[in-house]
Amino acid sequence: MNVQPMRIAISGLHRGENPQPGAGIVRSLRRRFPDAFIVGLVYDAMESGIYVEGGPDVVYAMPYPTAGADVYLQRLDEILARTPFDFFLPTLDAEIELLAYLESGFASRGLTTCLPEVESLHRRSKNHLSALAEECDVEVPETEAIYDLSGARRAIGRLGYPCMVKGQYYDARRVVNDIELASAVNKLLGEWGAPAILQRCINGPEFNAMGIGDGEGGIIGLCCIRKTILSDKGKGCGAITIRDEKLERLCQRLISALQWRGPFEIEVMMDEEIGDYSLIEINPRFPAWVDFPSQFGVNFPAALFEMMSGGKTPATLPVCQPGHFYVRHQIEVLGHVDQLAELATSVDFSALPVHPV
Amino acid sequence: MNTQLADLLLNDRGFAFNPASGETYQLNTTGLVMVRLMQQGLDHEEILMQIREKFDVDDHTARRDLEAFIDETEKLGWKP
Repeated sequence: MNVQPMRIAISGLHRGENPQPGAGIVRSLRRRFPDAFIVGLVYDAMESGIYVEGGPDVVYAMPYPTAGADVYLQRLDEILARTPFDFFLPTLDAEIELLAYLESGFASRGLTTCLPEVESLHRRSKNHLSALAEECDVEVPETEAIYDLSGARRAIGRLGYPCMVKGQYYDARRVVNDIELASAVNKLLGEWGAPAILQRCINGPEFNAMGIGDGEGGIIGLCCIRKTILSDKGKGCGAITIRDEKLERLCQRLISALQWRGPFEIEVMMDEEIGDYSLIEINPRFPAWVDFPSQFGVNFPAALFEMMSGGKTPATLPVCQPGHFYVRHQIEVLGHVDQLAELATSVDFSALPVHPV
Repeated sequence: MNTQLADLLLNDRGFAFNPASGETYQLNTTGLVMVRLMQQGLDHEEILMQIREKFDVDDHTARRDLEAFIDETEKLGWKP
C-alpha cells in the first residue's frame, strides 16, 4: 500500500523573545513523521522558524486575522491551489479566536483542524475565567476587565498595587503606581484591543500544564512543569517536569467543564498566602515549550495529529515523569536576503523554497 | 506546599528533588542520613541512636541536630 506522507500547515513559527509554538510543533512532528510535508503560514518574513534546519518545506505569507474571515479564507484557497495540504494547525491565540468560527469553511475545503468549540473558547477567555474557576472550585486572583484608562483607575482602587495588566491575547505587565498603570493600559489596549485585564498580583512559583482535550471532557495527555527560570516578561526560560495530583485534578476539572477539544495550556501559580494553586490563564493552544516532552518520548503534536487523522480519540499518552528539565537556548539562524526578498516583494507571496542551494 | 518525605528523590551526595513541587535542595551529610532514616519509617529515638553511632557524637549534639533538622523540614512542608 502506498502511504502518502502527511501534508500539514502550521502557523506561529517565530521563536524570538516571546516564542510562538509553531516551530516546536514542526520539530515534534518531524521526530515522529520525518517525511511529513509541512507548510509554514507566516505573518512576517522575519519569523525565525522559517529558516531553521528541519523547518517547513514551504512557506506562505498570510493576512492578519484582523483582516477578517473572507480575506483569510481567500488566501488559504490561493495557497491550497498551489500547494495542497490536508491538515491545518493554527497555533496563535488571535488566529484561534477567528478560526474557531470557520470550522465548516475548513471542512468544505477538505481541511481537517482540531479547534475548540466557540463556547468553550469564550468560557476560558480572560474576562470569563473567574466564573469558570468558581464553577470548577479553583482559586483565581481577583480580575477585572477594563475598556479604558478611567475604568482601569476605578478597578485599581479595588485591587490595589502591585497589579498585573494583561493584553486580551498576549503580554502582561506588573505595575506599581498610576504612571505605570497608564502606560501599560494604553499600550496593551492599543496593541491587542479591548478589554485588557487587571489582575491582583500573586506571590509564588509558576506552574504550567500542557495537554490535549478529547472534546468529551477527557484528557489524552498531560505534562506539568514548574518554571525555574523566568525572563523579564515572565516567560519560562527554564522549567522542570513535576507530578502533583492536586494540579492534575485541577486540570481535569477545568477541561471536563469546558469539554475542551484540542491542545491547551493551563497556567497557575502557587499562591503562598493561601497555600493553593491559583488559576492565571487557559491558552487554547500548545505552549512554546511543546517540543520539550517530545524529547523524552511524550510527543503531544504527534498525538494530536493521530487524533485529527483518525477522527477518534488516540491512546492516552505516557505519563510525563518528574525530573526532566529544559533550559531555553537561543541560537542564530541563517537566512539570505534572497529568501527575504522572495517573501517580502512577491506580489502574491508565492511559495518560498526555504532551503535554497 | 506539603510533600510526603517518602516521595523525595535523593542521590548519594545529598541532592534532593521534590517531584510534586519541582524544587531541588542540597542536604549535608547529616541531613541526608536523617531523611533516609525518616523515609525508612524510624522514630526519633531510633534515628538518634543511628546518628550517635554513625557520626560519633554525644546524645545532646545528636538531639540538637535532629530537632533543628525537623524544624527545617516542617518549614519546607515535608511530612513524615
